Amino acid sequence: MHTLQTVILGLALGGVYSLMATGLTLIFGVMRIVNLSHGAFMILGAYLAYFGFTLYNIDPLLSLFIVTPLFFFLGIIIYKSIFPRITGSPRFMEMTILVAFGMALILEGAMGKYFTGVYRSANPSYVTDSIQFGELFIPTGQLYATIVSIVLLGLLWAFLNFSRLGYATRATMQNRDAAQIVGVNVERVSTISYGIGMAMAGASGSLISFLFTFFPNKHWQWIAILVSLIVLGGLGSFVGTLISALSLAVIASLVSNWFGPVWSPLTFFLSLFIVLLFRPQGLFGKKLEEE
Amino acid sequence: MTLLQVENVTAGYGFGPDILIGISLTVEEGRTCCIIGPNGAGKSTLLKAICGLLRPRQGRVIYKGEDISHLRPYQTLAKGICFVPQERGLFPDMTVRENLVMGGYILEDRSRLDQEIDRVCEIFPLLKERESQRAKTLSGGEQQMLALGRALILNPELLMVDEPSLGLAPRIAADIFEKIRSFKDFGMTVLLVEQNARKGLACADWGYVLDLGKERIEGPADTILADERIQELYLGKLAAKRKETRS
Amino acid sequence: MAEAQAMHPGDSTVASKTPLEGKKIFLILFLVVLFIFPVFQVIFDGLNYVLHIMLYMFMYISMASGWNIIGGYAGYSSIGHNVFFAVGGYFSGVIFAYLGLSPFLTAPVAGLVAMIIGLLFGLISLRTRGPAFLMSTLALALVVRLLFDNWALLGGSNGMSIPLIDLPQQYLKLPFYYGMLLTAMAAVYTSYRIKHSKFGLGLRAISQDETKAEVAGINTRMYKIIAFGVSGIFAGMAGALWAYLLTYLRPSIFLELIIAADLILMSVVGGKGTVAGPVLGAILIIGYSEFSVSQFGYSELNIAVLGIFFLIVVLFFPQGIIGTLREHGKLPKILDWD
Repeated sequence: MHTLQTVILGLALGGVYSLMATGLTLIFGVMRIVNLSHGAFMILGAYLAYFGFTLYNIDPLLSLFIVTPLFFFLGIIIYKSIFPRITGSPRFMEMTILVAFGMALILEGAMGKYFTGVYRSANPSYVTDSIQFGELFIPTGQLYATIVSIVLLGLLWAFLNFSRLGYATRATMQNRDAAQIVGVNVERVSTISYGIGMAMAGASGSLISFLFTFFPNKHWQWIAILVSLIVLGGLGSFVGTLISALSLAVIASLVSNWFGPVWSPLTFFLSLFIVLLFRPQGLFGKKLEEE
Repeated sequence: MTLLQVENVTAGYGFGPDILIGISLTVEEGRTCCIIGPNGAGKSTLLKAICGLLRPRQGRVIYKGEDISHLRPYQTLAKGICFVPQERGLFPDMTVRENLVMGGYILEDRSRLDQEIDRVCEIFPLLKERESQRAKTLSGGEQQMLALGRALILNPELLMVDEPSLGLAPRIAADIFEKIRSFKDFGMTVLLVEQNARKGLACADWGYVLDLGKERIEGPADTILADERIQELYLGKLAAKRKETRS
Repeated sequence: MAEAQAMHPGDSTVASKTPLEGKKIFLILFLVVLFIFPVFQVIFDGLNYVLHIMLYMFMYISMASGWNIIGGYAGYSSIGHNVFFAVGGYFSGVIFAYLGLSPFLTAPVAGLVAMIIGLLFGLISLRTRGPAFLMSTLALALVVRLLFDNWALLGGSNGMSIPLIDLPQQYLKLPFYYGMLLTAMAAVYTSYRIKHSKFGLGLRAISQDETKAEVAGINTRMYKIIAFGVSGIFAGMAGALWAYLLTYLRPSIFLELIIAADLILMSVVGGKGTVAGPVLGAILIIGYSEFSVSQFGYSELNIAVLGIFFLIVVLFFPQGIIGTLREHGKLPKILDWD
C-alpha cells in the first residue's frame, strides 16, 4: 500500500484514539485516577451500539447520541459511590488503579456471561464503502468515526476554554489546592469530569463497534494501548495525548503495512518501554511523584 | 471590632500529630497582624484552618460572630476571607489574566469581573503588562504579585498571606511588603505569616509569636520587634551575640 | 502475651518465646502432614482430585508469595506476573521437548531465567513510579503474548505438546505435588527472610514514601529491580512444573491475564505486605473457585464475582484479611508469620 495512504489511514485512526485517550487524560488530570476500567467501558459501549444495530436497526452513529449521555450519568454514579471513600488515603493513586481494575474484571465477567465471547462487529453499510480522493481512499466508516471524534474533542475543548465550569476544571487539573482556595468546588468538578471521561468512553465504544472486532477480553489490549499513549504524551496533558495518539497511530499503521496487522499493537507497547527508559514523564508531562 | 477569633484550636494534617495545640488569637478589624515563629510552629496550619482547607480537631474559628470552623474554602471565600498560600497557588499553564479571572470565580455578577480585574491591575500595573503571559513563566516577585492580585479580585475583608517574601530577593520582598502595607488604606484587615520576622513585623500593627503550635507572645508589632526575647530567638542568635560582644 | 500496640499491618508482632515455639511446632506438624498426605493416595487411590487441588494451591501460593515481594513489600503492583509463569513453563518445556531434560531438573534454572527477565525488564521500567510501572507490566504481558503467539519454534498460538511423565495414573500427581509443595515452601521462606532483612526494610520504606527513602540514601531503583527479579523466580519454577503436568504449552494457557489478576487478588485479599497473606489468599480464592465451579459450573461470571470481591476488599479492607485482623488485634498467632 502506498505510504501516504497508510499515513492518512493512520491519522484518521489517530483521531479516534485521541478521543479514547482524552477521556483517560481528563480523569487523570483532574483526579489523579488511572482509570484501568476505561477499556472495559468502551467495550460495553461497543456492545450497546452493536445490539442497538443488530436488534433494533439503530445505526451506531445514532446510538452514540443515546450512549454518550447515558455513560455520563453512569460515570457520575460510579464516581460518587466509589471514589470519595478512598480520597483521603495516602496510597490514593495505587488504590484507584486497583479499584478500576476490580471494575474492569466485573465488567469483563458480566459481558462474557451475557454477551458471550463471540467476536463481534457491527456492519452498517458504510463499513464496506470508501471515499476516493484522487489516488487515495479512506473507508467511509473510518471517516465518519474520525469526524465524530474531532467534533467531540472540539466540544470538550470549547467547554474547557469558554465555560466557567471548564475554567474550573482546568484550574483543578493544574493546581487542585489553589482551585479550592479560589472557591472551586473540586468535588463537583471531579464528579463531572469523571462523567465526561466515561461519556467519551461510551462514545468511543460506539465507534469501536463498527471499526474493530471486539469481545470482552479485548479491553486489556485497549487499555494497554491507551495508557501507553498517554504515558508517552505525558500524563495529564491534552496536547501530549493528541500528539502521541496521532504519531503512534501513524507508526502503527506503517508497521501494520510492512510487517502485518498482528504487530501493530507492539508499536504502542514498545514506545511505552522506550518512554519509560528515557523520559518517564513523557513529552509534555511533569514527573510523576506521589502527591 | 473583632473580626476574627480563633478559640482554642487544635489541628493537624491527615492522621498525623497535632500541629496547632489550643491556639487562641483575635484579629481586630482594619489591623495588619503578623504571625512569626520558627519552622514547624504551625503558622501555615493556622491559616489553612481558618480558611477551611483544614478542619480544626478541637476549638472554633469565629468570623464576625459566626462559627466558620466547618466551612470549606469556597464557603469562607464567600464570607470575605481570601487566602494566599505559601506556594502562591497559581495556575501555571493559565495566563495572568486567566488566573485573575479564576480569582473572581465565585462572583455571581460576571459583568463585574472585568471591572475588578481592571481595579487590581491598577494596584499592580505589572499584571496588566504581562496579561497574556503564562503564570509559570513569571519571575518569583511577579508570581507573588499575581497571587496577591488574584486574592484582591473579590475585595476581601480579611486577606491572609502565607510567607509573601519566601524565595524573593530582598528588594523585591520589600516591594511586596510595601504593597501589603498599603492595603490598610482600603480598609482591609490583613493576617500575615512571615519567616522574615523583621520585615513582617515592620509592616504590621500587631504581632503574634507562634512556637510549637502554641501562641507565646502577642502585642503591638513594634513592641515585639524590640523585645529582647524575640530578638534572641527569632531575629538570629547572631544579633544577640553581636549585642553581647559590643557591650 | 503480646501487648496491643499501635500496629502497622506488616509489623512483626512483639511475641515472647513461648508463643513463637508453639507456632513453630504447629507449622512443622502441618508441613509433616502435607508431606505424608499423598501416602493415602498411594495406598487407597481415588484422591487424585484432592492432590490436584492441593498442588494447584501450592502453585499459586508460590506465585502469590513471589508477587507479594514486589507488589506488597515494595508497593509496586504488577499485572504482568504471568509472564514469569510463561517464561518458566516454556523454558523447561522447550528444553524437555528438544533435549529431553526433565523439567524437575530444569525448574530451578527456569526460575533463574524468569528472574533474569525480571531484572532486565525492571531496568527499563522501574525508572518510574507505581502507576506507570503497573501499566508497563501489562504491556509486557501483552507483548510476550504477541511474541509467543507468533513464534514458530514455540508452536505459535497453537502451542506445542511435551511428553507425558512416565508414571501410572495412580502415582501421576505425586512428583508434581511434592514439586509444588517444595516450591511453595521455598517461596514462603524466601518471603519471610526478605521481610526480616535490611532489604525488606528498604522495600517497606520505598512503599511508604519513596522520596524519603531515596533521601535516606536507599538506592531505590536497585532495590525495586531486585525485588521484581526475585518475585519472578517461583512463578518461573511453578510454570516449569505446571507445563510438565499439563503436557502442553500454549500462550492462551500461560499468558491469560486472569492468572495475573488472580495473583493480585490473592495477595490483596490475604494481606499485601504480610508473609501469610498471599498464602491465605491463594487458599481462599482457589477454594472458592473450585467450589463455585463444582456448584454452578464454569462461567465467566466467576470473573465478575472476583472483581466484586476485589472491590470490596480494596475499598473496605485495604489491608486484606491478615492486615485487618492485626489492626484490630484479633490476629490468631497461627496466622501471624511475620
